[in-house]
Formats: sequence, C-alpha cells, structure tokens
Amino acid sequence: MRVRVRNLEAERINFVLENVDLPLANALRRILIADLPTMAIDIVNIQENSSVLVDEFIAHRLGMVPLISTACDRLINYNRDCVCLDHCPKCSVELDLNIKCTTNETILVTSNHLQLRSQEAQDTSGNFIDPPIGLSDDFGLPINYHLQDVHPITICKLRQGQELRINCVAKKGINKEHAKWGPTSAVGFEYDPYNKFKHTSYWYEQDEKAEWPLSANATEETPPDEGGNLPLDAEPRNFYFDVEATGALEPKDMLLMAFAELQNKLAGIVLALDQPAQQDGDMNNANLVEGMDNVDGGAGASGAQAVDDWGVSTSQGFDWQ
Amino acid sequence: MSTVCPRVCRRFFSPFSCTRTTMSFNTVQREKTFVNPSQKGNNYPILQELVKPHVDSFNMLFKDSNGGEGLLDKALRDIPSRVIIDDKQRLELTYKQLNIAKPMVLDKDKNSIDRRIFPFEARERLSTYKSRMSVKIQVKVNGEIESEFIRECGSVPVMVRSERCNLQKMSSAELVAKHEESDEMGGYFIINGNEKLMRLLVVPRRHYVTSIIRPSFANRGPTYTEFGVQIRCVRPDQTSTTNTMHYLSNGGATLRFAWRKNEYMIPVIMVLKALSSASDRDIFEGIIQKDYDNTFLTDRVELLLRGFKPFKLYTKEQCLFYLGSKFRVVLGCPEDWSDIQVGQHLIERCILVHLQSPEDKYRMLLFMLQKLYSLVSGESCADNPDSPQLHEVLMPGFLYGQIIKEKLDECLIAASAQIRQDLRRQISSANIGDDKYVNKVIQRTNFDIGQKLNYFLATGNLVSPSGLDLQQATGFTIMAEKLNFYRYLSHFRCIHRGAFFAELKTTAVRKLLPEAWGFLCPVHTPDGAPCGLLNHLSRSCKVTTENLEDSASKLPALLSGLGMIQPFINTVDRRTHVAIHLDGRVIGWANTSDVKYMAEALRIWKTEGLHGVPLNMEIGLVPSSKGGQYPGLYLFTSRARMMRPVKYLANGKLDHLGSFEQVYMDVACVPKEIEKGISTHVEYTPTNVLSVVANMTPFSDFNQSPRNMYQCQMAKQTMGTPSTAIMRRTDNKLYRIQNGQTPIVRPNLHNTYGMDNFPQGANAIVAVLSYTGYDMEDAMIINKSAHERGFGYGTVYKSQIVDLREMRGANKSRSTPSLHFGLGVDAKREWREALDEDGIVPCGVKVTSGDPICAYIDETTGRTMVEKYKGDEEAYIDEIRLLGSDGGDTELQKIHFKIRIPRSPVVGDKFSSRHGQKGVMSQRWKKIDLPFSESGLQPDVIINPHAFPSRMTIGMFVESIAGKAGALHGLAQDGTPFNFNENDTPVEYFGEQLKAAGYNYHGNEPMYSGVTGEEFPADIYLGCVYYQRLRHMVNDKYQVRTLGPVDQLTRQPIKGRKRHGGIRLGEMERDALIAHGTSFLLQDRLMNCSDYSTAWVCRDCGSLISLGYTDERDPKASQLPQGPTGEYCRVCRQAQLEQDNGELDGEATQVQRRSDIILPLSKDLNMGKGGNMDVVAVPYVLRYLASELACMGIRMSVELS
Repeated sequence: MRVRVRNLEAERINFVLENVDLPLANALRRILIADLPTMAIDIVNIQENSSVLVDEFIAHRLGMVPLISTACDRLINYNRDCVCLDHCPKCSVELDLNIKCTTNETILVTSNHLQLRSQEAQDTSGNFIDPPIGLSDDFGLPINYHLQDVHPITICKLRQGQELRINCVAKKGINKEHAKWGPTSAVGFEYDPYNKFKHTSYWYEQDEKAEWPLSANATEETPPDEGGNLPLDAEPRNFYFDVEATGALEPKDMLLMAFAELQNKLAGIVLALDQPAQQDGDMNNANLVEGMDNVDGGAGASGAQAVDDWGVSTSQGFDWQ
Repeated sequence: MSTVCPRVCRRFFSPFSCTRTTMSFNTVQREKTFVNPSQKGNNYPILQELVKPHVDSFNMLFKDSNGGEGLLDKALRDIPSRVIIDDKQRLELTYKQLNIAKPMVLDKDKNSIDRRIFPFEARERLSTYKSRMSVKIQVKVNGEIESEFIRECGSVPVMVRSERCNLQKMSSAELVAKHEESDEMGGYFIINGNEKLMRLLVVPRRHYVTSIIRPSFANRGPTYTEFGVQIRCVRPDQTSTTNTMHYLSNGGATLRFAWRKNEYMIPVIMVLKALSSASDRDIFEGIIQKDYDNTFLTDRVELLLRGFKPFKLYTKEQCLFYLGSKFRVVLGCPEDWSDIQVGQHLIERCILVHLQSPEDKYRMLLFMLQKLYSLVSGESCADNPDSPQLHEVLMPGFLYGQIIKEKLDECLIAASAQIRQDLRRQISSANIGDDKYVNKVIQRTNFDIGQKLNYFLATGNLVSPSGLDLQQATGFTIMAEKLNFYRYLSHFRCIHRGAFFAELKTTAVRKLLPEAWGFLCPVHTPDGAPCGLLNHLSRSCKVTTENLEDSASKLPALLSGLGMIQPFINTVDRRTHVAIHLDGRVIGWANTSDVKYMAEALRIWKTEGLHGVPLNMEIGLVPSSKGGQYPGLYLFTSRARMMRPVKYLANGKLDHLGSFEQVYMDVACVPKEIEKGISTHVEYTPTNVLSVVANMTPFSDFNQSPRNMYQCQMAKQTMGTPSTAIMRRTDNKLYRIQNGQTPIVRPNLHNTYGMDNFPQGANAIVAVLSYTGYDMEDAMIINKSAHERGFGYGTVYKSQIVDLREMRGANKSRSTPSLHFGLGVDAKREWREALDEDGIVPCGVKVTSGDPICAYIDETTGRTMVEKYKGDEEAYIDEIRLLGSDGGDTELQKIHFKIRIPRSPVVGDKFSSRHGQKGVMSQRWKKIDLPFSESGLQPDVIINPHAFPSRMTIGMFVESIAGKAGALHGLAQDGTPFNFNENDTPVEYFGEQLKAAGYNYHGNEPMYSGVTGEEFPADIYLGCVYYQRLRHMVNDKYQVRTLGPVDQLTRQPIKGRKRHGGIRLGEMERDALIAHGTSFLLQDRLMNCSDYSTAWVCRDCGSLISLGYTDERDPKASQLPQGPTGEYCRVCRQAQLEQDNGELDGEATQVQRRSDIILPLSKDLNMGKGGNMDVVAVPYVLRYLASELACMGIRMSVELS
C-alpha cells in the first residue's frame, strides 16, 4: 500500500492510494466522511435573542460553524464517556456570543464573534477538572478566525437595540451522528478513469469520446490498447482521492487519523475473531457488531495493542510531498 | 471551476439565443433594495399592476378616471326620491351627497397623535379596516327644500391601498415604515383581522345582443320557443339589468325584464310604440330594411304587428298609460304620478337602461328583433355564452358600489315606510311638514350600511332584494391566504365563472376555448371540482376600469366622416349594410365594404393615438357570413372588459386587444409565425398568455401539459416565504421555509416580479436512480446530512386567541367585564411556574399540549382559570399581543398568541420539484451509504427514474442540467419557456456549458455505490433541481388509534382525526375481507376492535333486551325461575306468571284467594320459563337495534344453538 500525495492545501488534500483493493479504499473514504471526530457546537443556551431570527434558527447556524479541532481525537473525550457531571474541559469547549448593536449601523454577527470561555467543572468526586494538556490555544475557535482575507461565517444581523447573549457548548462528535461534525465536506473518489474494467458502461448519443471528457486522473494511467483484454481477475488497485476539508482538521492530520481509525476498526474485528468462542458466542458477536458501529469502536485501548497483530504498518507507505 | 470557457461565452451572445440572457442572481442589488426600499415608488411596480382591477375599480367609486364624479355619486343620483303624501303635504326625500372618510380612530379616543389607522393595526388588532360613511338627505316639502340632514351610515370596510386607504400612493420606504411589505399591493379588505377579497367573476358582456338557443326558454309559457336574444345593460353607475327578447311560435316577440327578482314579459310592439309612437309601417320598414324578398322576415313581422292588434293601443300615450297602470303597484312610484309617468319610469328603469334617449332604445329594439329573426331563420348562428368573447368581469369595486346603492335605497324606503306607518297610526307627532319629525324618523331608521358590507365581506353572502342581476347570492369573497406569495398573488388574478355553473352537470362551460387565448391562462386552473370554472388571468391581461365616455362621444362624428350612414336614415338596405354599434347603441349603418375600411382606420387611429380614439377601445368587426355570428361593427369603450397588449403589425405599435375583437384578428405567437396578409398582430412574447404562477415553471414548454397544471397547484401549496413582515401578521396559519434559496434556473419573469423576496424552496442535487427501493412509487430519498444541514426545514405559525368576552362566565350584558386576566391567590403552583405574574405565559417559552398560556380570574366566583395551549405538538410562544378595544378605553379582554411550531422534515412529508413531480420523503439515508460522483458530490435527493416515462416532464431534466451548469459556472440560468426550439435545443446549449466545466455533455456522471465503493454499471443523471416543500405534512395528517373515545349510542369508535377517532372500515373494505376469506380478521375489525359487547339472551324467547335481575330482598321473587346470578327473562317470566295465574284461576282460585301466600306450583320450580338465559357476544349496535325495533313494536329474537 502506498499513499502518494499529489496536492496538499490548507483545506484540501489530493492523493493516490496505490496498491490496495477496493473495499479498503472505500473503507478509508467512509472513515474520512463519517468517523473522524471534530468539535461542533451542540448545546446553545440563549439568554437573550432579540434578533429577527428565531432561537432554533440561530442554534442551527451556530452548530454548523466548523471549529478548530486539532488533536481532538486524542485529547478530548466524548461527552458521554467523560467522568464529569455535565461537561468539562476534557470533553467540551465553551463559547460565548455576546453582542449588542447600539449604533444605527447594522452589525453583521459572524463566527468571529464567538469567544472561548474558560470553564470550571467538577468530576463526580468534586475535583476540579483541568483542561487536557497539549491542546492548542485556539482549540475550539471557529476556523480561519485569524485570517483577514477570509470572510467569516455570517450568523445573523443585528440592528439598533437588538442583542444576542448566547452561551454555547461545543462537544466532540462524528458525522454519523450529525452533519455538523466531521472534517470533510466532500471526498472525491475515483478509480479506473479509462473504464478498463468495464465496471460501468458510458451512455452516449453519438460519440462516447466526445461526450465523456476524460477525468484528470487519466494521466496517471495508460490508455487501454485497442482490443486488448484485461485478465479476468484484474481488479482496481489505484484510487484517486480528492478530499475537501472543512478546516476543522488539518488535511494531513485527517488522513493520518483516518488510517488510525481504520486500523482501530480492523483491530476490533481481529480481536473479536481471535477470541475463542468461549462464554457466550452469540453475545460476543453481538458486541462485535455493536463495536463496529460504535463511535469509538469500543476498541480504544485494546485496538492499539492489536495493531501489531494485524501486521500492517501505515507509516512506511507515506510519502509526503 | 468558475471560469467560463470562451466557447460558452460565445454561445451566450450567438444570434440563436438573442432572447436568452445570462442573468445574474443580483444578490447585492437585492440586498440594497431590501435595506433601502425605494423612496419614490415601489420596488416592483409591476406587482401593483396585477391587482389593478381590484384597486382601480374601487377607486372609481370615489372619483372617475376622467376626473368626474365617482360611481357612488352617480348611483346616488339614480336612487329615486321617496315621496310621502298626506292630505295636504307632499314630502320628498332625496339623497344628495355621500361621504366616505379615510380610516381614523374613534372620536372618543384621546391619546392618539396620528389619528389615521393603518392596515397593519387592523390586522394585528384583529379588527376591521373601515372608515365612516355618511349621506346627506334632502327633505322637500311641497316641492320646496325644507332642510338637509346628515345621516351616519356606520363604518364601511375600505380596500387597502385604494383611494380611501391611508396607504395610498405610499412609496416602498413609507410602506415598510408602516409595517407593510415593501411592495404591498392592496386590493383586499381587512375584516376582523382577516384579509378578504372579492373574487373577480365572469358576467355576460354588456351592451352586446347575444343570440341564445336555450330549450328552457320554451318552458316559459305557451307559444314560447327556445329562441331568444339577450342584452345585459349597464347604467353609468355600473348597476345592470338584463333584457331578453323571446321569439314566440306565432311569430311574435316579447321582451322580458326582471324587477326585484320577479320577471315580467311585455309584447315588444308595446314597448316600441311606447318609445316612439311609431306606426306599424315604421316598425315594419325599420325591421325589414328593404329586404322585402325575405318572406320569412316579412311574414314574421306581419304576425308580430298583427299579434298586437287585440290590445287596441295605438299611440305612445296609450301604451305608456297601459304599462303604467299595470306596473304602478310593482314599481312603488309616488302616488301622485300619472299612469303615463309610471309607464315612462318603467321604460327608464327596466328597458335598455344603458340608453337614455327613447330613439336609441327604439333602434336597439329593432336591431334585437332583426337579430332574433335572423337567428330563427338560421341566417346567423347562436352565440356561445360560455365563450370569453362574450364575457366581461364583475369588478370588486363596482359590485361594492352596487351594494351600497341598493342598501341606501332600502334605507330610504324603510324610513319612508316608517313615516307612512306613523301617519296611518295617526301618531300625534307625525307631521311630514315638520323637519324635526322627519329627522327623528331618519335617525331612528337603521342606516348601518357599514355593518351590512361587513357581513357581505366576511361571509361572501349577498343579501339583496334585486339580486343585482347576478346569478348567485353567495361566494363573492374569499380569504387572501398568505400561504406563500404565489398563492396570495393568484387570489387576485383568479376569475370564477360563477357558482351556478359549478352545479351544472355538463362540462361544456369548463372547456378551454380558443377565444380565451391570452386572457385566461390555459395552464393555471385547478383540477377537480372547480376545473375550468376557476381560471386565472394571464399575466398581461388587463381589465379596463376607466371611463372612456368622452372619447367615445367623438366616435360617431369620426365614423360619419368615414362614410357611416346616420341611424335615423330609413333608406338603409340591410342586405348590403350592417349596423355600427357603440356600447350597445346603434350609431349608424355602413356598407359591408366601408365597414371593413372603418375598422382598419379606427385601429390605426387607436394604436397611434390619433383623433382621440382610445387604446382601450375594442373594434369588433363581425364580417358578413352565411350562418355565422350576426354581422356588424361593434365598438366597445365600456369598463370591465378584458384587454391585453399585442403588437399591431400594420404600424408596429402597441395595440390592446379585447376578447371580442380578438376572435376576428389573427395574432401570431412569435414573429416567425407571421403570415403576410393574414396576420394582424403578433404577441410581444409567447409567455404573455400564461398566468404569473404558470410563468414561474421553468422550461414548462418541455413538459406534458397536465404536469404544468399540477405545478401551478403545488406552487400554491408550497411552504415558502409568505411575507417579509411576518412579525406584523396574525394569520390563523402561516407556513414558512427557513432556508429559502433563489432558484438557479428561473424564468426571466422571476426577476421581473421580484420573486426573490419570497423564496419557495431550495436547489437540491438530484440523482435520478433507483437505489435501495426506498424511492419506489414517487417516494424520494433524502440525504441525512442535507437534512441536518437544514434542507426543507420549515415552521408553522398558528394563532390562538383568548377573548374573555367570549368565555364562559363572561357577563355580556354588563358594560364592565367580569373576567380579568391575572393570577389569583388560588392559582395552582404549576400555573404560577408556567405563567408570569400578569397571568400570561412569557414570550419565547416552549409549550406542550395542555400547558397553560394565560390565566384569568372570574370576578363572580373569585376563582382563577387558565386557558391552555390547544395544539398537539411542541411549540414556542412567538409573539403575544394584548388587544384593547377600538376606543382604547376599556380593560384588556383579548390576547392574541402567535405560536411557532418548528417542522423539520420527517418521513412522510411531501416535496415536489417545479414540474408536477411530487413525492413523499421515505427515508433519510446516511451520507456514507449514498452514491457519490467522482468529485465526491452526493445527492441531496434521490428520485426514481420511473417517475419520468409516463409523465414526460422533460422540463425537469432540462432544469437539472441547466441547474448543474448554472451551479458550476455561477450563472442564474434563464428557464423562460419557448426560448428553445428544434434547431436550438437546450441539451446542446447546456451540454456545451457542462462540457466546458469538464462534465459529461448530457448531464450524466459515473457514480459509485457508497456501500461498496464500486462503480455503478450505469452512469447516473445527476443535476440540480429546485425543490419545494409542500404544506402537506404527516404531522397534520397521521391518524392512529388503539383505544379511544366511542360514540355514546353505538359504542363504536367515533370518526375524525381531531377527536382521536378511528378510520372506518367501510362496506367495500368489508367486501374485500370477505372475498379473501379472512373471516377472523373481519371479526376482529368489525367486532372485537369496534363495539364488542356481551349480552344476555333468553334461550326460550330469543330476546336480547329482556334481561332482569332478581331483587334478592324479595323472597317471593327468589322463588321464581332464574339463572345462577339471579338473571331472568322478563318477558318469559311475565308470560309464565300469567300462565300460572290462569291455571290457578281455573284450578284453585278459592284456595289462593284466601291465602296471602303464593305457593309456587311444583312444576315451575326451576323448571318454568324465564330463567334460561345465556351470555353471547354481540356488537353493541345490535342491542341498540333490538331496542329501537322494540319501540316500533317489532320483536327481534335470536336463536341460540
């Protein structure tokens, strides 16, 4: 397996996944879409909303703002797994949106008005919970908050006398749960640009070549020779990914996290399969299935151990350009 | 990606696409106008055009278009004076002046600075937008003006944005300041907070003699035939009467008119003679007009004249006298009028009322006779009364004026009747010479016309003694629902054929006739019951309201210059000459060849504005033909006609075509269709013939036509943006979409009408494929992530009004209220928690079913009571309005709660594209499992390809690729219909754009299965389609029940979703279950789950209703036969006892008589009848049936086996 990155931008990564088979490539695609945790506003406490937009409208818009979530997979707990009573720095970020329009100029309330707020939370035994070590200072802030030339995300507008006083709690989650979580906005995925395997048949009116422009990825492959047949057992081995990120995670991190997540998931399966059918076999299988779908795979710690057993080392294949 | 390749650019400006424009979304421009609405006029003046028929017709009531007196003043002059005569004096009451003010606050209000009332206030306060009306009544005694009184007539509802509305002539900016839409169009009334409008109605064209063959005419009496001619005559004040001339089988003719809903027939000759004292010869010559060879005609006219001989009336005076003597009582004329005067009055009021001079009436009647005889002889054909050619519009304002006129007349009659009654009763103060007394009577009479108009607008019911020459008495008004902007708009453009035709069995009236072309939209009519009866005006159709009398008066002179023969010339030959009519008046005659030239000349003058010929005049030249429409040159300058702009080819100028003249014109749809020498006109654009809503369907020319009809319906049911001033609205129900978008593909008119202010849906990525089966049968799959991002998210606003005056415990007789808002000391704790101290729920809180929303204290009992939230769903209190009284001087008694119900789409909600393709959302599919394209694009919506072959909505395919190309290049695509043709196809046009963006020419894309990652064997049609969310939502519809309320009488589940009832398993369903042999299921449905009950039945007599229980305290009774729990059959026991007694009487009477102890007979012990009961399971209704039958004396018995 080889990953060849063709293009890396701040919010985009284009790479070729080489020498793997289709299910694995698709698994990676699915993980990139749905299984990478990010932070997003989940609870919105509205103290004052005299804007023209209704509460749930604003709450929805706030939820859709991508927040910087670097390393949230390692450092932040899922709220439901956390030891705290409600939410704490280990599982959440609190943001404030306090703004009032006092002049007769309309204020455009944007994601940049969201302010981080330090939170004090106690665990079940009454101890104060410190934020996890290693988090960046801007963790939980809206993306691109520091960039001048990027327009922030509009939340609403306020005219004179209108006010918003909102306290938000951002939590960690994955896209399976809600579309607001997840680091990718679209994952381009292609194999076989020449349709050599005849997985599909192009419909055309007069001329297939004229009506179907070749994809850019065609340059990576050799055109099929006329009348040349492929071996019967030929399968696609190269996959062209074009991942568009929301900005919540660095594209590079995202990819690494995706591979780690893939390993975790596979490890979960291996672990479950390795265990002899002791105790209650059915129960075990049920757990396995649940573990697959579960958010952290039920394989957090045990999965890490299982990496060696699986025998695939991801690091060797990386080829950062 | 957004770079447009030069090839595409070139195509945009290619000669092919000259009508096609690249549009911008104009987002910035729109925001600018939204923030800074126009200070001078309206942002979109064209919207005002759409309601013009309503507003202008209302304005005409007060001031005519030529600056003359308004229709109300004209009406006032036409109301006859009422005369009361006693021994010495003659009192005459006449209306002199009518005033309707602008809406103002009541005089007793002392706090207002601005005393004007604006519509938003009426809307928010749930009151009526009305203003005061008063009339001046002149009192004449013995012909001398004694005095003049002003009488208040209550407050009449005022049309918004009309002459009498405080919003009139306001600019967009000012309107916004008054909390209206920036483009508030008005045209409606506000009645109790509801916006009501008077629907346009089709009525027969005025001043045109229509030939009719109607079998029912023959039933009017002996010798009556099915032939007749009819003319609807309209007075200057727009009130009308219809005159019908019947052909009798004896060759004669009678004239029919209606007076106070009663119909009267007069021999035509009598009217003719009463009008002109013409001799028989004059009449003969006038009708025959030198056509002596026409024996059919000469014979009939002879018979006609002969038929009148028996009356022995020869002169004008004799005829008038005769008429007057017959109609004196009916007409209610002053007693001191002579019969001749009454006869004259009759002719003035009832016969050809649009003509003043008797000569004109005489000539018109002769013309009618000519037309009648030509119809009978087959020389000309009957006119089609369903054709828009012979239609005009009943205008809201005009009808309003007619009602006012009639009510005023009634009031005056009532006042004079009161005076007469007083005189008859010889009440001492009754002295008609005393203006104090007269004034007192007038002040005492009910003059509240405002209240009557209020009733009319609120209910749509017309209470009228004359019927106003209309065929219906109900259904004149409709509610202007602001469900979305399209629906709102189409209310003002809809035109109804009349309630009478809705009941008609025949479908002929519903037919779409070619005569309707350009006036009524061929697409925009509902399917179902009102199909074809409820039409919509095309977007370019105008209805004339202005007064063209001044310019019309010059026409006879103009025409004389062109060779018209004067009407009074009696040497005209009807074989070579045709009549020239101007608004139902014969103004002359002309040679058939001259008349053609006249029509052409007039049209040139009219289009070029020469000689004062008005553009809105209709020049209907009906050419001579064998058996066609009766020939003539018919000129119309009257009001209420449908006109539309087209280009006159002769000089390339704008011409307004009316529905009468259009039949004889040749209008080309597009310049290409113009045929030299044949075409007279050409459409400015083919989309002019469609209604506004039908115009909003992109590429509708590619769709099968019924689909466009469905779209017109669905556009009006879409959850959209109803208003930009939702905060100021109090509608009962309002739907609103949260994330509305402007469509990428839109017709040009979308911008013209400013539809971007009222978005109706969202651009969705739509894949046409069959995936997982959840898109079968018009279901659609939605991307779960799209849903979570807000696709189709909507809100429903509802109103709940708490009016303490209407509550139980309110004392209506007292002036001070007995119920007061607030929390008493006895209020429950949970009420205190839910409500504020003032007893009203705080704004913004969430409420669930049954939560208190306000509390009030009953003064009489001292108890606190609460009003609860009535809905079933969780909702938020959006706004609360405390509504005071009109004068602002009474205690708060009324609160309006605006309740907001968030409605995110759920499985079962209905969506549709703009091509009549509706579907139900069946599944929210996970993003990772959805198919995706190579670029990672995933569809928001998946629909099944089977939705297309039978429906042929190619427009949707075109929209899909156009939308896709538009999204890729950042263009707003023009979807105006009729812009493409066979040689210049949209596929080519948009295909090039797609290709330029690196996509497949035809809009297909290879897609991959989201589950396996494998490429689909077929490529998928993937594009961008604008999707609407319809208001039909499962949350309003679902009906489930396991247990629930039952009917008292039958104990069967009740019906009705609202009452938590069940769904009926009817006879046909029952039949199906029987046919399937599923008897167990049948029993379960009809019995166990319905009115299962157990009943005691007597095994002996089979009665279900004779159960009795033994009274255990009665020792005698316990001896009698009975079941184990003491049950017995009352019938059998009675019979047994009687039998026993009989036996005893016979056997041992004496023994028994002496003893008080009744010894049971040994054979009866446990053996006798009465105790043999059994329990059976029966439907409860069966027991009810048994008892009902018993009441009728019928015994029902059950046999047990």
